[in-house]
Amino acid sequence: MNTAVSARNISHHFGVDIALDDVSFDMKQGQTMALLGHNGAGKSTLIKILLGLITPADGEIDILGLNIKKRSSRSTINLGYLPENVSFYDKLTGEEILTYFAELKGVGKKRVCELIEEFGLGYAKDRALKTYSKGMKQRLGFAQAILCEPELLLLDEPTVGLDPVASQFLYGKIDELKHLGCAVIVCTHELSLIENNIDTALILGKGRCLASGNLGELRYESQLKTRLTSPSLAALVNDSERLASLYTDNALLLDRENKQDVVQFLTSECGLFDFALKEPGLADIYHFHMNKCAQLGAVS
Amino acid sequence: MFLHKPVLVIAKKEIRDSLRNRWVVFISLIFLLLSLSVTFASSAVVGQLSLPELNLLISSLSTISVFIIPLAAMLVSYDAFVGEDESGTLLLLLSYPLSRFQILLGKLIGHSVIMSFTICFAFGLTAILLLMFGEHYDIAATISQFGQFIFTSILLAIIFILLGYIVSLKATEKAKAVATVLFVWFLFVLIYDLLLLTLLVADLAFINQYIINVLIALNPTDLYRAINLIGTDAGSGSLAIISASDWGKTGLYIVMGLWLVGLAFVANFIFGRRQL
Repeated sequence: MNTAVSARNISHHFGVDIALDDVSFDMKQGQTMALLGHNGAGKSTLIKILLGLITPADGEIDILGLNIKKRSSRSTINLGYLPENVSFYDKLTGEEILTYFAELKGVGKKRVCELIEEFGLGYAKDRALKTYSKGMKQRLGFAQAILCEPELLLLDEPTVGLDPVASQFLYGKIDELKHLGCAVIVCTHELSLIENNIDTALILGKGRCLASGNLGELRYESQLKTRLTSPSLAALVNDSERLASLYTDNALLLDRENKQDVVQFLTSECGLFDFALKEPGLADIYHFHMNKCAQLGAVS
Repeated sequence: MFLHKPVLVIAKKEIRDSLRNRWVVFISLIFLLLSLSVTFASSAVVGQLSLPELNLLISSLSTISVFIIPLAAMLVSYDAFVGEDESGTLLLLLSYPLSRFQILLGKLIGHSVIMSFTICFAFGLTAILLLMFGEHYDIAATISQFGQFIFTSILLAIIFILLGYIVSLKATEKAKAVATVLFVWFLFVLIYDLLLLTLLVADLAFINQYIINVLIALNPTDLYRAINLIGTDAGSGSLAIISASDWGKTGLYIVMGLWLVGLAFVANFIFGRRQL
């Protein structure tokens, strides 16, 4: 897979406020990356840099092999973008709005009609946008973002305020685009929703890169423990000093080194097969890094 | 070339938006109502019903228009940028392969077309009705006077559209933009003229015709009136002073053109520096 985005040592500041501090990451074509971080972590600044709206004070960014610092490169990058909480023109119809953006991108009417049908908006295409539900507006916004069949898609909070079915529909579309080779960056706070739909994640905190990589790498890096739970666990813990030392909050907390041994011990020595193992989720990893970031902030 | 497709696409969208929210109909009817009232009913205040002399009519129309055209133009344009910024579409537009100048130009063309249409409709219809019902009007003179009046009205509207853009580009929220355009309108249309008149009435030693010309040039509404009143018997007060400008129509048109180009340059400069 070719590299879609390569960011090296990106730094930017607004006056004395540091927005991004030495952020580097790479992502391949056909991958989805979650861009995570607290409010003011630098996510929006990074998105604006990727869009070419802000030139970083320091560092280099290549998108699809082109350096975006060069003005000529920006117009040749096939990029789609859905801003957070975008509110399109209320008086225009869904079809008029999509046609407007299509004309600005030089995309034909045929593609507009295709997308309207694909996103299930055919029945409402002649209705004014003000009559659309939140989900319909978001589908229209998503359709706008993929008008030009982008090679890089930037989505800022695409599922905020949407019901689970509508969110799943959007992630289904993201998956389809991914398989077509599109690199997708999703900026979101809905961690449990995005967890199963990403290849990598970049966690920002106070402008710095706190962690990056796929879920396995993030788990390894954070050294968060796996939770083993079972209805019979409490009784076993009373009889085993080894298990008691690992027992916290009705679960055994296992690290990478002892996980296999403990599972073997439970199955062979204790005859316990009715248990569940829960690896640390994206939300756990995120909170771990946010806590660490807050502690570092307090110390400094 | 600047006038390529994206500029026209944006202009078309602005026109459609204004038609859809009934701005065009509303402004056209206001202009028409004012124009017809001034033309056909103004003599009623002196107890008779007659059609006014052409010079007098243009003088009356320009006196009324100078209040309403700038206000309408700025109300059309005040949310052009701050409104799109608040709704997130400005950020989206800027992520498209468009320059900021193309967005500005597209909006300017769209809004100028809207204002031009409303002005031509209201005052053009008045001229046609005047020629139909007034017996003593010379056709060539009426067309010429109204043509100039309509043209300068459009120029005045474009200047105030650009002032609306500057306010919109500097504002952080729509409510502040509304308040600011009302202040700008108040300043240019009401206060400046009053101050100008006060200076002249005070008969200060340094006030000469050159200074008066400069003071007129510093306000597009006075330029507008000066072009339309020059060479006419414009009555008394500030109208007489303005009509006495000795720069000639060409000079006044040039100054108005400078206002237009200058404001377009300032708007583009501010847009270029606006952070998103």
